[in-house]
Parts: sequence; structure tokens; C-alpha cells
Amino acid sequence: MKGQTSALSKSTAVKFRIPTAENLVPIRLDIEVDGQRFKDAFTWNPSDPDSEIVVFAKRTVKDMKLPPVFVTHIASSIQSQLADFRSFEGQDMYAGEKIVPIKLDLRVNHTLVKDQFLWDLNNFENDPEEFARTFCRDLAIDDPEVGPAIAFAIREQLYEIAIQSVASARESRISKKGRRGAEHAIVSKAGGTAMDLVKLFGHKSSVVRKRKEWDVYEPIVDLLSNEEVDALEAREERNGR
Amino acid sequence: MVTKSTVQETSSEPPSSPTPVKPETPVTGTESRDAATATATAKPTVAPNPPNYQSDVNVPSYSEWFCWDKIHQCEVRFLPEFFESRSPSKVPRVYMYYRNSIIKHYRADPSRKISFTDVRKALVGDVGSIRRVFDFLEAWGLINYFPSALNKPLKWDDNKDSKAASNIAASPSNSISKDDSTSKRNCNCNHCKSICSIACFVCDKYDMTLCARCYVRGNYQVGVTSSDFRRVEINEDSKSDWLDKDTLHLFEALMHYGDDWRKVAQHVGRSEKDCVSHFIKLPFGEEFVGSTDIGDVDAKYKQTKDAGDAECGLGSCVTSSSNKRMRLTPLADASNPIMAQAAFLSALAGAEVAENAARAAVTTLSQVDYRSSIGSFGPQARNARRHEADAVSNGNTNLNAAEGTWVDANSQLEKEELDVERAISGITQVQMKEIQDKIVRFEAMDLQMEKEWQQLEQMKNMLFVDQLTLLFNKSSAQKTG
Repeated sequence: MKGQTSALSKSTAVKFRIPTAENLVPIRLDIEVDGQRFKDAFTWNPSDPDSEIVVFAKRTVKDMKLPPVFVTHIASSIQSQLADFRSFEGQDMYAGEKIVPIKLDLRVNHTLVKDQFLWDLNNFENDPEEFARTFCRDLAIDDPEVGPAIAFAIREQLYEIAIQSVASARESRISKKGRRGAEHAIVSKAGGTAMDLVKLFGHKSSVVRKRKEWDVYEPIVDLLSNEEVDALEAREERNGR
Repeated sequence: MVTKSTVQETSSEPPSSPTPVKPETPVTGTESRDAATATATAKPTVAPNPPNYQSDVNVPSYSEWFCWDKIHQCEVRFLPEFFESRSPSKVPRVYMYYRNSIIKHYRADPSRKISFTDVRKALVGDVGSIRRVFDFLEAWGLINYFPSALNKPLKWDDNKDSKAASNIAASPSNSISKDDSTSKRNCNCNHCKSICSIACFVCDKYDMTLCARCYVRGNYQVGVTSSDFRRVEINEDSKSDWLDKDTLHLFEALMHYGDDWRKVAQHVGRSEKDCVSHFIKLPFGEEFVGSTDIGDVDAKYKQTKDAGDAECGLGSCVTSSSNKRMRLTPLADASNPIMAQAAFLSALAGAEVAENAARAAVTTLSQVDYRSSIGSFGPQARNARRHEADAVSNGNTNLNAAEGTWVDANSQLEKEELDVERAISGITQVQMKEIQDKIVRFEAMDLQMEKEWQQLEQMKNMLFVDQLTLLFNKSSAQKTG
């Protein structure tokens, strides 16, 4: 059941999991009942028993003083997202040379964060939580809610990429004939966002980034005033609807 | 640890006015606390004024162990996931980060109750473990602790005290003490202190027991819901008397399983707590407790000896058989095989028989010793006899046998030593003879050498003479020729 091993890209098939130190699932909640909207995003440990879901839902509803009908909605939403995650679990995914750019573009309360950086998908010891903690500490972000939001954003993107690689692994298995063609397809699809390592770290180029790219990779943290926050929120809702 | 904490721990006024800076005197504090709660289990202590916090923070006395920089034993026990290195990001450092940030969050405004969701939004990490840390801190009163609010903390304090006592006391996990705390749920309602007769509602999560009325009224602690309780019927029948055969099963199980109460309970067919409580109540329970731990042979032996003397009068076969078995165990485990044999034989033969046999053996031995002519044995035998006399006067059965064998062993030892000495002297004599022979041979050689040397001298002289005459003749021939 191993995927094809090609000498070129050293791609080996690995069981699906989020490529981070802890196999946590990013869960996004967006529930609307009777005009009350509840949005939330957090990370969940898939090895927690399912009874946790209900406990968590009840706790959240009680703490946020939501109507109790939310409990079932929350629980079912979490469960379906977990089920999605688990459906990918048994399958293979490619774990080739993949350094992907991760983009952060989020607003948490009054803080606006924009950043871009490279992330090594292969290193399963990477930890978005650790990154988020360091990020907040280095940039002296006061709002404690920013950290989890950053970690969550990173995790979501990693999750997406992992799903893509599973899909591509499946496709490559199906199309066994045109090996070379499939390889290129893999590289282009799954590594669509991946950089070509040779280009980056080859002989002629250096590890130091070019000056014109500095702006792109620099983190930007903005503190917004209340009016700006309101304006942004209104715009988001309009876009969302 | 209390001195290390940076938070002032004093009694506070009611939560509605959260910003007193001056600490109250502890006396008035305890009085008001007493008025509010029936049992003043929380003792406020005064610590140096911290710079950050303007309001006073209450910490119950059972949570005094808390320290910002350290992790206490009970934290390790309650939240093992962080300390088992199950995953690389569940490390003690992460645990401390969660714990400290939650507590800081709470102490920023101690008058209001923080909810899990507030905290969760601000922490990086998976919500399951954050929730567990939050629950733990809330349970131990390090957050959301309002002592003047109702009697809700009362139930908490009782159970937490017993838990704290059993945890912090750090007793070497004696099964008895553990069962003391857990068997506390003895049908006294934690809330209204009445004896529950018909039905109890037990919450295993927090180890609380409520009578039916309190359960219905819904006076739980925060964080406990009605679904956490389960109904326990108290039938007088189920706690029936312990028949003799039940007791017998219990002893058998104890012999086999020792401290593993789960298996003992299975064997007997009752709950663990029943077994333990009955066991303690037995008149000789204490000695059995000591039997499972075979460390100190002598002390325990005396114990069993006393038990044996006391129990010999009793007619119950159960106790005497088990006592006999127990008398076997201390010495049977001794590494000395002779002692083991002696113990085994004496146990088989019975106490009086063994005692008499040993006495007879000792007396014959002493007679033999008197007749023996080997001097070196004398003092040893005398010592042995003294020992025997003591032993006989004690009336210790196994000890007599032990002394007899000890005497035998000593005499054998003496014989061996003598043999060894003789052998050594023989060897040295032979070696001396060798050396003497060698000396004689060397002397003969010397003599020969002398003779040869003298011969050599003579020959040298003769040669000299010859040379001289030759020269003489030569010179005379020259002269004439």
C-alpha cells in the first residue's frame, strides 16, 4: 500500500495526520440560531473521548449564556468536523520535500496581524502553538486571544495542505500507468504551494533572502481603534452574507 | 511554600467590594468566616503585600501548596497527562503556562468568576487539556473561590480536606489510610450532615454524597451537574453480617493476594470497602496487617509468638491455622536453609512437640560438650550452653532448635580450623628441607670451584717459570753465538 517511491523526490507515504508535534484538529464553529450567531475557533485533540464533546458544548453554552439549543448544534458541528478528520486518517499522504508558505491575515478584537513565512511540512515536530506563543511574546501583543487565533490559522492551513496531499496520493495511486506524468502532476498539485528547494538552496542562490522579498515576509501587527474595528466587522459581515 | 507566594492571603470582605488594600486582622476574618461557614476549614494567613494586586485574594488552606514556580505532587497526580511525556507538547512547562495564565487571569479581578470559555480563548493549546487544568484549579479553590458565598464550598471543603489530608500527608500508600478517606462516603450527606437511610446520591467525580433531599434541591457545587450523580440504594440487607466462611475467604484471599484489595474483594464476593472495613474490625486485624510486610523478622516473630500464645486457647481452627502459617512465614523466608527446615519441621510437628524435642536435643548436646576433650570447643560450647540456657528459659521453640544447630556448626568450624593449621605447618616443613638441601649443594660446588682455581694458579706459575727459562736460554745462546 505504499505509494510509488521515486528516486527524485524522496516521497514516501505516511499515514495521514496533521504535520505537527501534536495531532490537534482545528475546529471552526459558526452557528446561527434564531438570529444569534456564535463564531468560534479552537483546536481539538482527536484522541479525547467523544464524551468530551458534549461536556465542552455544555460548558461553552453555560459560560457564554447561550440558549441551550446551541448545545446540540455545537456538539454536532464538532463531531462532524472530527469525523471528517478521522475519515482521512487511515489513508496515506505524501510527505515529500515540502516547504510551504503560510500566510496569516487575521483580526482578533483590536489587533490586526499580517504575516507570511515558510513552514516545513515534513518536520512533524513543528508546533504551531509554540510559534504562536513566541510570536505574541516577541511582538509584545497584549491581547491574549491573539495567540490561539494565530495557532489556529496555521493549523487550518496545514490541515488543508495535508488533505490535498492525501487526495493527490490517492490520485497517483489510481493513475499508475503514466508514472512520469503522474509525478509531475503530483508535484504541481500537491506541491502547488511548495517551493522548489533546489531553487532556494541550490548552488547559485544563497540562504539569505533577497531584499525585495523582505517586505513580504515581515510581520505586521496593527492596533485598531474602535471605529476601525466596527467598520471592518461590518465589511466582513457583508462579505460573509 | 506559603512565604514564597506573591499573593496576599487574608480574609476578605464580601465579594461586592473588591478593592481593600489594607489587610484585615485575621481574628475578625476567622470570625466572619466562621459565621458564614459551619466549619472553618480555611485558615487565612497573612503574607507580604504584592505589588500587582490591589485586592485581596483568598486561597483555601488546603491549597497552600500552590507556588508559581513549582509543581506540586497533587498536581502531578491529578493531571498525569502532562507529566507522562505522552506527547512532546504535553510537558510540565506547558502545564505551568496554562496554570499560571489561568490563575493570573482570575486574579486580575478576583471578585468575578471566570468561565472556562474566557480562559480558553486566551490560551494556546488544545481545549481538552485546558479544560482539565481549569477544572482542577477550580476544584482546589485556586480560582473562582468565594468562601462567603452560601454553603456550597462546605461540601467541597470536607471532601477536599480529606483528599488533601490523604494526599499531602504523603503516607506510604497504606491501603488502610486510603480506604479511610474513601470509605468516608458512609451514607452521611455531605451537605446537611444527616444520615442517609433510603437512598444516596453519589458523585464519583468529586466524591460527594448527598441525601435525596439535597439532591433534589440542587445544592451542588459549581461545576457539578445533576447528571454526575448516581443513585445508590442503601439496603440493610446488602451490608449483612460476615459469616465465618466469609471471614475464611477473606483470610485466604489475603494470604494469596496480600495488598491487592481488588482481588481480595473478588475472592470474597463483597466490595473492597466492605472487606477492608471488616478486616480492620477483626480483633487481630493489626497483626495481619503486619504479616504482609516481611521485613523485620524478629519483631514480627515476637508478634506472632504472642498471637500464637493468645490464640492457642481459642478453639477456632481458622485463626490457629492461619497463625501457624504465619509463624511459618517469618522464618521460612530466611535465606538460611537450615533455619527454614527447622521452622518447617517445627510448624509441622506442632508447638509443644517441637519445643520438647528441641529441649531434649539441647540437653544432650550440652552433655556431649561436657565430655568432649577438645579444648578449643570449651569456650564455644560454654557460650553455646549459655545461649541454650537462655533459650530454654525463654521457652522459645524454634529458637532452641536454632541454638542447637548453631552449636553444631561452631564445633565443625573448630575442627576445620585445626586441620588447616596442621596442613600449613607440614607444608612449611617440607619447604625448609628443600632449602637446606639446596644450601648443601651450593657449598659442595663452592669447594670444587676453590680446587679448580688453585689448580689454575699452579699452572700459571709453571708457565711463568717456563717462559723465564726460555728467555734465559735465548739470551745465553745469543751471548755465545
